[in-house]
Amino acid sequence: MSETPDSYEAAVERLEQIIDRLDSGQAGLRETLDLCREGRELVTYCSAELDAVSEGLEELKLDELAARLESSSRPDSV
Amino acid sequence: MEELPGPFPVGRYARKLQEELRRRARVRLVGEVTGVSRSKVQAYFELRDAEGAVPCAIWLDDLEKAGLPAGGLRDGAEVVIGGGPDYYPGGGQASPSFAFRATHMRLAGEGDLLARLGALRKQLRAEGLFELQKQLARPRLPKTIGVVTAESGAARRDLLAGLKRRGWAGTVIWAFAPVQDRRAAPAIGAAIQELAATPAVEAIVVTRGGGSLADLWAFCDETLCRTVAMLRVPVVSAVGHERDSTLIDDVAAVACSTPTHAAEAAVPLDCLAARAALERSAAALRRAGEGAVGSRTRHLAALARGPARALRRERIGLNQKTREIRAASERGVAERRAFQRRIALVVLSRAARRAAGPEAKQRREGLRRAAVAFRAHEPERTLERGYALTEDVGGEPVTSAAAAIAAGRVRLRFADGRVGAEVDQDGEG
Repeated sequence: MSETPDSYEAAVERLEQIIDRLDSGQAGLRETLDLCREGRELVTYCSAELDAVSEGLEELKLDELAARLESSSRPDSV
Repeated sequence: MEELPGPFPVGRYARKLQEELRRRARVRLVGEVTGVSRSKVQAYFELRDAEGAVPCAIWLDDLEKAGLPAGGLRDGAEVVIGGGPDYYPGGGQASPSFAFRATHMRLAGEGDLLARLGALRKQLRAEGLFELQKQLARPRLPKTIGVVTAESGAARRDLLAGLKRRGWAGTVIWAFAPVQDRRAAPAIGAAIQELAATPAVEAIVVTRGGGSLADLWAFCDETLCRTVAMLRVPVVSAVGHERDSTLIDDVAAVACSTPTHAAEAAVPLDCLAARAALERSAAALRRAGEGAVGSRTRHLAALARGPARALRRERIGLNQKTREIRAASERGVAERRAFQRRIALVVLSRAARRAAGPEAKQRREGLRRAAVAFRAHEPERTLERGYALTEDVGGEPVTSAAAAIAAGRVRLRFADGRVGAEVDQDGEG
C-alpha cells in the first residue's frame, strides 16, 4: 500500500477486491504476493481504524468543547 | 305535481332516504363544536364554520376511542371528525332527525398542523431540499458524531445503548437543546450548525422521544428544516415514533423510527462484525499467500525431483559400470599375470633346454683349455723347472738387484720351499 486509504470503506472495498482476485486463482505468484502485501497493509489500517473507536466512549458537551476551543485559541492560553 | 311519481308511504320513503344517505362517501369535516349535549349513549353537537353547519352525533363508545383529552369535546373546540351522513327515520312517537354520524374525532389543532405540514412538505420537496442530504456520503465508521437531544430523556440513553450494541466507542459530542416548545426549533437549528462547524464531527443525530404532532412541531419548523437540508454533514433524524412523521425526517439524510436505529444509521458499520470480518480477511490473505508459495514450492519440488531421479538413475548405472570395470580390470590383471608367468616359463624352459644342449659341451671344452693355458703361466710351474723366486721378508717379489740390495735380507722361494739369504752388495766378490 503506497498510499493511506481515503476511508475505512475504501480500504474494505479494496480488500474485498483483493480477496476476490486471490480467490479467482488467476493471479500469478508475483501478483499474489503483491496483493497479499497490500491486503495485509489494508487489514492493519482497518484494524487501527476499528481500534480508534474501540478504546472507550468519550462524551463531550458542545458547550464545553466550544469553551475549550475558545480558550485554546487565545494567545495567552498556551 | 301530478306528473311526479308517487305518492309513496312516508315511512318507506324515510328508510329509503336513510339508505341513500348511508351510501354517501365517508369524509372528514373540520370545524368548531357548538351546542354539545349528551344522552346515555350519544353526544350531539353542531359543527360549524363561517359558511355553515352540520348537526353531528357520535356514540359515546367512539368518543371514548377517540382519546380526546378530558373536556376535549366542548363548545368552541376545533375538531376534525370522520364519518358520513345518516338519517333517523323516527317512529310512531320519536321524531325523525338528520345528523352527520361521526365515528372518529380529534382536536383540530393537530389537523391544522398537518395541513400546514403538508403544504410545507410540498414546497420543500418542490425545491429539491429532500434530496440534498441524501446525496451526501455517510462514513461507515465515523470517529466522532454529534447528537442534538434533550439533556434528560430516554432518547439519549437509547442512543448510547444502540452505539454500544454496534461495538462503537468513539467520541460523542452532545448538543443539548429544548425539544418541545416555541424555543426549541431555533435552539436545535443553532446546535446543529455548531456541530456541523466542528471539523471532527462526521455525522449528526437529532433525536427525541414520541409525542403528538404539536409536541414534535419544532422538528417541522421551516427554518430548521432548510438549515438541515443545506448542511454538508449528514444528519440522521429520529424524532417521535414510527407513526410520527416530521419535516426534518424528510430533509435528513436518514430518518429513523427510534434513537437505537439512529445509532445504527450514524455508525453504519457494526464494529464487532467488522472486526470478525477483518480477521477472516486476514486469514484469507494468509492462506492465499502461503498457498501461492506452498503450491508453487510443491510444484517446483515435483519438477526438481524429475532431474534428481534421473541423476540417481544415472549414478546407480554409473556405479554399476564402475564395479563391472573394476571387476573386469582385476580379471585382466590376473590374466595378464598368468600370461606373463606362462611367457617366463616358456623362456626359462627354452634357456634350460639351451643349457642342456651341445652349446654347453663346447663351452666346457673351451674352459678346460683355458685352464690348461692359465696353469702353464703359474709361477709354481716355473719353480718346478728349477727357477727360484726372490721375495722380501714380507713375501713381496723382489724383481731387481737394486731392490735386493735395498732389502738387505731376502727369501728365496724354491719349488720345494723357502730359505733366507743375505744380500752381498759385491756380488762378484
